[in-house]
Amino acid sequence: MFDFDATLPLMAVQFLLLMVALNAVFYKPLMKSLDDRDSYIRSNQTGAQERLANAENLAKQYEQELADTRRQSQLVITNAQAEAQKIAATHIAEAQQEAQAQREQAQQELDQQKAAAMQSLEQQVEGLSRQILEKLLGSQVFS
Amino acid sequence: MLSFLDTLTTFPLAELEVGNHFYWQLGGLRLHGQVLSQAGLWIGLLLTASVLGTRNIQRVPQGMQNFMEYALEFVRDIARNQLGEKEYRPWLPFIGTLFLFIFVSNWSGALLPWRLIKLPVGELAAPTSDINTTVALALLTSLAYFYAGFRKRGLGYFAKYVEPTPILLPIAILEDFTKPLSLSFRLFGNILADELVVAVLVLLVPLIVPIPVMLLGLFTSAIQALVFATLAGAYIHEALEGHGDEAHEEH
Repeated sequence: MFDFDATLPLMAVQFLLLMVALNAVFYKPLMKSLDDRDSYIRSNQTGAQERLANAENLAKQYEQELADTRRQSQLVITNAQAEAQKIAATHIAEAQQEAQAQREQAQQELDQQKAAAMQSLEQQVEGLSRQILEKLLGSQVFS
Repeated sequence: MLSFLDTLTTFPLAELEVGNHFYWQLGGLRLHGQVLSQAGLWIGLLLTASVLGTRNIQRVPQGMQNFMEYALEFVRDIARNQLGEKEYRPWLPFIGTLFLFIFVSNWSGALLPWRLIKLPVGELAAPTSDINTTVALALLTSLAYFYAGFRKRGLGYFAKYVEPTPILLPIAILEDFTKPLSLSFRLFGNILADELVVAVLVLLVPLIVPIPVMLLGLFTSAIQALVFATLAGAYIHEALEGHGDEAHEEH
């Protein structure tokens, strides 16, 4: 069981040769491949992170712009509403004024006509009263 | 009882052969043929899998590349956990190859029915069940951590032996011997014992009963590979850090 002979050094040499050969065909190329993949993944990841950050910035910017625009539109709407209100108010006021004026004019005309009618009535009263007098007293009055 | 044992030895399906080796002669040297051929086979398998996995490297891994990347990440985690993010890169090939080689060897012994291939003497088994293999790996680990210590701190590495107090010098020196000894015998003992237990159980009850033990063997095989690689990483880390550096870091 324990007989040492030339197998020992030969085995050592064999092992060393295996080590050198494996270093050439196994460890070096595959470690290089692993390292390459690592760096590839790392660079891709940083690139992706940058892109993600960019996209997030853009999204934030757009959102801000959207909010601004919305606020502006709101402002425009309120402005327009206020203006419309004002215009409506002025229009109403004008119309009321006009109506007032027309009413006053009509009142005036009515008053004038009433006065004229009263005047003509008074004249007619005089004529009528004369006629009544004439009828009652006859021609004595004029004689 | 003795006659029962006699019938066992003549049992044709399974037999225990411990300490018998299929020897190769190379010049004046004697080699364990079954160990070296097996080790060569698994080295070939590892290299083939690696070449298949890295032949056409793509950013999105598929098939074999995916599998080999999984294996690489596993051994990288072992090395990184022991040596830390900064130091582990140069030692990844050593620790990773230790794990992969021991793991594949262990599982080959636990999974494949090598007994179907007849050898004139001895049997095919996991290369790691031979003491030569495990001692070779353990000595390489010792060399690796000495190399790591000297390369990082030059001769100042020896300061480690007298820190924090010179009283511990004999123990520190002893540690350099016990480390490879424990590494090699742990692996060798576990794998050989596992194979022996399975062999004995198969001898006694050839059906079904050995299966839980075989599963346990798969588990211990994987654990032993992990333990060997982790300990190698820990020893190298210890040599790199040393007591002096830790003191500096504290201040």
